[in-house]
Amino acid sequence: MQRGSQARKYRLQGAGLDLALPYLMLAPGLTIVLGVLVYPLWDGLRASTRAYRYGSPVADVGLQNYLHLWSDAQFLNALWVTVKFVALSVSFEAVLGFALALFCLHEFRGIRLLRTVLIIPMVITPVVVAIVFRLIYASDAGMLTALSKAMGGGEVQILGNPLNAFIGLVALDVWEWTPLMFLILLAGLQSLPHEPFEAARVDGAGAWRVFADLTFPMMRPVLAVAIVLRTIDAFGTFDQVFVLTRGGPGEATRLISIYGYDTAFKFQQTGYAAALFVTIGLVVLALAFSAIRLLRRVDAS
Amino acid sequence: MGSVVFKNVVKNFGALNVLRSLDLAVPDHKFLALLGPSGCGKTTALRILAGLDMPTAGKVFIGERDVTRLQPRDRDIAMVFQSYALYPQMTVADNIGYPLWIRGTPEAGRKAKIGEVAAILEIGHLLDRRPRQLSGGQRQRVALARAIVRDPAAFLMDEPLSNLDARLRLTMRGEIKRLCQRLSATTIYVTHDQVEALTMADLVAVMQGGELQQMAPPIEIYDRPANRFVATFVGNPPMNILPAALSEQGVTVATGIVPVDQTRLAACRLAEIVEIGLRPEDCSVAPPGEAGALQGEIYVVEPMGNETLVNVRLDGGNVQVRAGRDFRGVVGESIGVAFDPANACFFNSAGLTAVHRVNNNGRVT
Ligand SMILES: Nc1ncnc2c1ncn2[C@@H]1O[C@H](COP(=O)(O)OP(=O)(O)OP(=O)(O)O)[C@@H](O)[C@H]1O
Ligand SMILES: [Mg+2]
Repeated sequence: MQRGSQARKYRLQGAGLDLALPYLMLAPGLTIVLGVLVYPLWDGLRASTRAYRYGSPVADVGLQNYLHLWSDAQFLNALWVTVKFVALSVSFEAVLGFALALFCLHEFRGIRLLRTVLIIPMVITPVVVAIVFRLIYASDAGMLTALSKAMGGGEVQILGNPLNAFIGLVALDVWEWTPLMFLILLAGLQSLPHEPFEAARVDGAGAWRVFADLTFPMMRPVLAVAIVLRTIDAFGTFDQVFVLTRGGPGEATRLISIYGYDTAFKFQQTGYAAALFVTIGLVVLALAFSAIRLLRRVDAS
Repeated sequence: MGSVVFKNVVKNFGALNVLRSLDLAVPDHKFLALLGPSGCGKTTALRILAGLDMPTAGKVFIGERDVTRLQPRDRDIAMVFQSYALYPQMTVADNIGYPLWIRGTPEAGRKAKIGEVAAILEIGHLLDRRPRQLSGGQRQRVALARAIVRDPAAFLMDEPLSNLDARLRLTMRGEIKRLCQRLSATTIYVTHDQVEALTMADLVAVMQGGELQQMAPPIEIYDRPANRFVATFVGNPPMNILPAALSEQGVTVATGIVPVDQTRLAACRLAEIVEIGLRPEDCSVAPPGEAGALQGEIYVVEPMGNETLVNVRLDGGNVQVRAGRDFRGVVGESIGVAFDPANACFFNSAGLTAVHRVNNNGRVT
């Protein structure tokens, strides 16, 4: 009977502290994100519409920087080199990674060790990889030259020859990043249900048909994600090239990132470099979006 | 063209012994139901026959051919998996047509065949869907369709009806039976549903704990079970088993004496039987105190519509009795149980059936 008098004080849902709490908890993180992500982005965008001299902005030029890009032969060449580099490296990595993943799916003695060894290149610092490759490629004391001499050949010119330097760069990237493809694709393969594969074997499919009719279609989404990831990443490749060739010989390995670096820090054209990177950023973003759209369509059909 | 033989097949998974020396011979064109409780090794046996697992020891033959080490695709079989195993990226039509497509059947023939089996299994309207857009029962029927679309040496079906509703299960049971008779292919049909096994099969093999208990035509499995396990596993409600003792006049069960004919009584004595098995339909309720009936009290009453199942508590244990649909009893009431000993089985201490029912021609085993 006395219940009413000792009524507890209830706090209502969706009012007072309940409403404010999420924002309070988000605030520190949000501040950091604003400071290190949003502000630089906005500053970069602003820089891309200005002309600089000796590191200080001297004039607002609107979209001039952006327009100028498309008549800059060096930019167009760098873009072309980058596209070639990305297409070649990523295709090789995808094919190699898929093949290795399929191979490592089988259970046999030593498979764990093999899987571990295969992902080592990925965990080595890129600059170190580049230095090691430079030692391999060096025309005087390099490993390739030593090998060639041992077999009675002459010096091997890698970094001095435009085509060879480009191939050497692709080889380095494939060596370093195939493990990532391998890892993603292996995880994808391991997550596939195994009954359909048994059914296919009973239904009369051989190894090739099982791959073409089951493995590949089922793996398509994973493969697409891995390729998109690697593509975006490869567009930004910088350190290996910087250490290995600095973009040379000539412009043979001058990727867009190296060209942008040169414009900004060698030629001090800060505004122009900003416009360049914004453009590349948009290209990569568009690429990623269209890839994901494509993926959705494939998935839905 | 497709008899199936297991010869001393043993299968171990590590230290786990799943099949212990399985011997099984299915004549050509026969429909064999492999019946047994969950985990007894039915799927394992089927997978060994399909070539998906290798036996630890022993040999497997299909149509006189030793297939023990052959690839699944070289065995000329079709299989329905317990987990359906449909191809997720393909439409239902492509799923069903896959075995034909792999064998290079031309488009027109394939389409006609797909339409035909889809009609039998009532999935014609689903042909354009993908497996993930189907219900469990629909998936199961697609898996079944994919198996029967071809004309193999043997069909292997692993509980192909387990996920269907009662009505569909009934119709599909009939359809599969008809189909297998029409194709007259050897069929190994795994199930733990004894009604399916008894109604569909030419032969029933009962397994338990990785061992074959009995293989015989359905009627014989029901009438002349080889041992206590088969007797209680087959039949619904299961056979009643009561301890029995031998006496001068006959066999003493609970408090009463069961009159058994002289020949069988002699056989019982010889075999030193310890238990009697009585099917519920051979028992009947009687007024309490009736002569010759066992006395007990009603434990549970289950009206089924067409009949009433009465569980009666006796001295030696409980028995299920089939009573008429108009049986009205109250739990706790005393009641008598009369039975016809002609169909009784007697088990010895090893659990084997020592003495069977009286045969139709009066012969005794
Ligand atoms: N790959 C495996 N590794 C280890 N043990 C297994 C494996 N496959 C099956 N078993 C074991 O073997 C036994 C028999 O399994 P099986 O699948 O043949 O049973 P089943 O008779 O088909 O049962 P159910 O009616 O439930 O399908 C089970 O105890 C199971 O745990
Ligand atoms: Mg099973």
